[in-house]
Amino acid sequence: MKIFLNKIAFAGPETETWDALTGLFASGAGWRASADWDITPETLSARAARRVSPQIRLAVTIAERLAPCLNDDAGWIFASSVGEGETLQVILEALRTPEMMIQPLRFQNAVHNAASGQWSIAAGITGPITSIAALDETAGAGFLKAGLQVAAEKRPIGLVLYDVPLPPPLDDKRPLGIPLGAGFALAPHPGADTLASLTLSVCDEGTTEPKHTVAQAIRATGNPVAAVMHLLETLAAQTPSHVVLGLHGGRGLRMDVEPI
Amino acid sequence: MAVIVKNSVSDQIKITHFTIATCLGRGRQVHFDAMRNSRSGLSPCRYPDLPFDCFVGSVSELDELHFPEWVSDYDNRANRLALAALETDGFLDAALRVRDRWGPARCGVVVGTSTSGIEKLESVYRERGDNQPLPEGYLMSHHDNHHAVAAFTQKFLGLTGPSYTISTACSSSAKALIDATQLIEVGICDAVIVGGVDSLCLISLNGFEAMQLISREPCRPCDASRNGASIGEGAAFLVLERDAVGGVRLSGMGESSDGVSMSTPPKDGAGAAAAMQSALKTADIRADQVGYINLHGTATPANDAAECAAIAQVFGTDTPVSSLKGMIGHTLGAAGAVESVMSIIALEENLVPGNVGLETLDPEIACNVVATSQDEQLTHVLTNAFGFGGSNCALVFSRCPT
Repeated sequence: MKIFLNKIAFAGPETETWDALTGLFASGAGWRASADWDITPETLSARAARRVSPQIRLAVTIAERLAPCLNDDAGWIFASSVGEGETLQVILEALRTPEMMIQPLRFQNAVHNAASGQWSIAAGITGPITSIAALDETAGAGFLKAGLQVAAEKRPIGLVLYDVPLPPPLDDKRPLGIPLGAGFALAPHPGADTLASLTLSVCDEGTTEPKHTVAQAIRATGNPVAAVMHLLETLAAQTPSHVVLGLHGGRGLRMDVEPI
Repeated sequence: MAVIVKNSVSDQIKITHFTIATCLGRGRQVHFDAMRNSRSGLSPCRYPDLPFDCFVGSVSELDELHFPEWVSDYDNRANRLALAALETDGFLDAALRVRDRWGPARCGVVVGTSTSGIEKLESVYRERGDNQPLPEGYLMSHHDNHHAVAAFTQKFLGLTGPSYTISTACSSSAKALIDATQLIEVGICDAVIVGGVDSLCLISLNGFEAMQLISREPCRPCDASRNGASIGEGAAFLVLERDAVGGVRLSGMGESSDGVSMSTPPKDGAGAAAAMQSALKTADIRADQVGYINLHGTATPANDAAECAAIAQVFGTDTPVSSLKGMIGHTLGAAGAVESVMSIIALEENLVPGNVGLETLDPEIACNVVATSQDEQLTHVLTNAFGFGGSNCALVFSRCPT
């Protein structure tokens, strides 16, 4: 499967944009993790943004950065390992009371596709949107699913990867370190904005690791989105190479990257 | 409109095995009998401490099921549902033969679920003291994480091909069937075990109650006096395999989005209509060739009306339609796979199942809602599944020439 990458989005603490990340790669400056970082998308009104979780705010921010590269026929894939942990925690606490009162809006926004749903509503999306998960291999699953849709449906895809640390006591069981989001606008054919071609195949290797110290530091946080740090490092270097994202079950998704 | 392009491989991808477990029981025969006789499996909810009364579709004897020791880390109600389905109608042996035929690395797993094993986490939360940590042995990856059921299924079947989880609320496992097809179409897999699983849990029951969508009686889709949904639980799995002959195939697939709020569709069902039109287009059939439409039909006034408006727009008012939720309740993320299997049974048996609970058709609904089951020669059937966030999916199943 050969697909084409037209735009990259990135958002995390001290690296709020893709340009900021590539700047860090180039400058040799260090990077320090910050768990309480948050970001607000432009698509949602300030009031609407306050009513949704940090997960949704991050995912919608990534999506709105990809949107200018994607036409009305595009599909969207939102990939998150843990989904709406913030909302889940509030609901679980409510279930400890005899009344078990759950706020209706909170319940609606507890589903794994809350972020994709909020993006769909805000942006008036009419095409297919999917929300997927695969534990630590969620990024690999996201790219595999994107490859399927680009290849089988011949449509552009906005791929949004996002995960935000869980609140206590859930975070003890699955520490994610920092909030992190990454996005990729993908297409079946090259265009004027194409940055690289990605040739996807399934292999028997695991996730390949980045070499740059900043990329390694972000990868070390434990956020599953950071599985793409080797890919991002490769794309920033603009040299042909290959990277692997692990797939759940033990195989890997190999991507042969060819800058254009 | 979401049009899914298919290639020449698509025609040779068949559904070679399937299995199902719902409140009606386990397996093909019990579901066929229930559809023929319009039997409901809904019963009064006995969920501990639930602060209101309702009817649910509860699967019996799950606690008595032997859960194998070597996968006991995964023991929770959702995975017990999955196990119940996997061990029914010879599906497990069939899946293992499929694994041996293609090799474990060429067999994928895609599961659709909304709540996965969250019921276990609910119990853990309720049992722990204030501000206490979760118990030492609790594994999120095996229980409440969305991928927990797919991970269990993959391990239990000894498969190593790609696996992931679709979680788009109540359309989850219908969409998973599209992924299964595409994994084979593009050559990543030769066979995919695809399914849907969701268990009853306090979050779903209390959440829908908070939205005032839970009926106090067994739900009555499309009835003039319907007053909400009954929540059910269930599991269904299908094997999709390439180079198969005869049988049934997933011929049409349509997806769309039409969210105007997280929980309410537009009144005209615009997205539902787009998904159904797309499914007809990929199946390469006319609307009048569909002999039966399985409604998403949750029995909430707004959803039934919007879906039937969409059907009237795409199919006119003659095609027989019914909701299965009066029999099994709304199995949420499992609904797509569970109702696909029931639709395939209906197709193979030339049976249009009745809409259990229907006494007086809502005059606002301009569709041919079939109250009791009837025999019909069926070649193509369509099933709908719609979820929060305006996530719509329509699938067409077709008989294949033998």
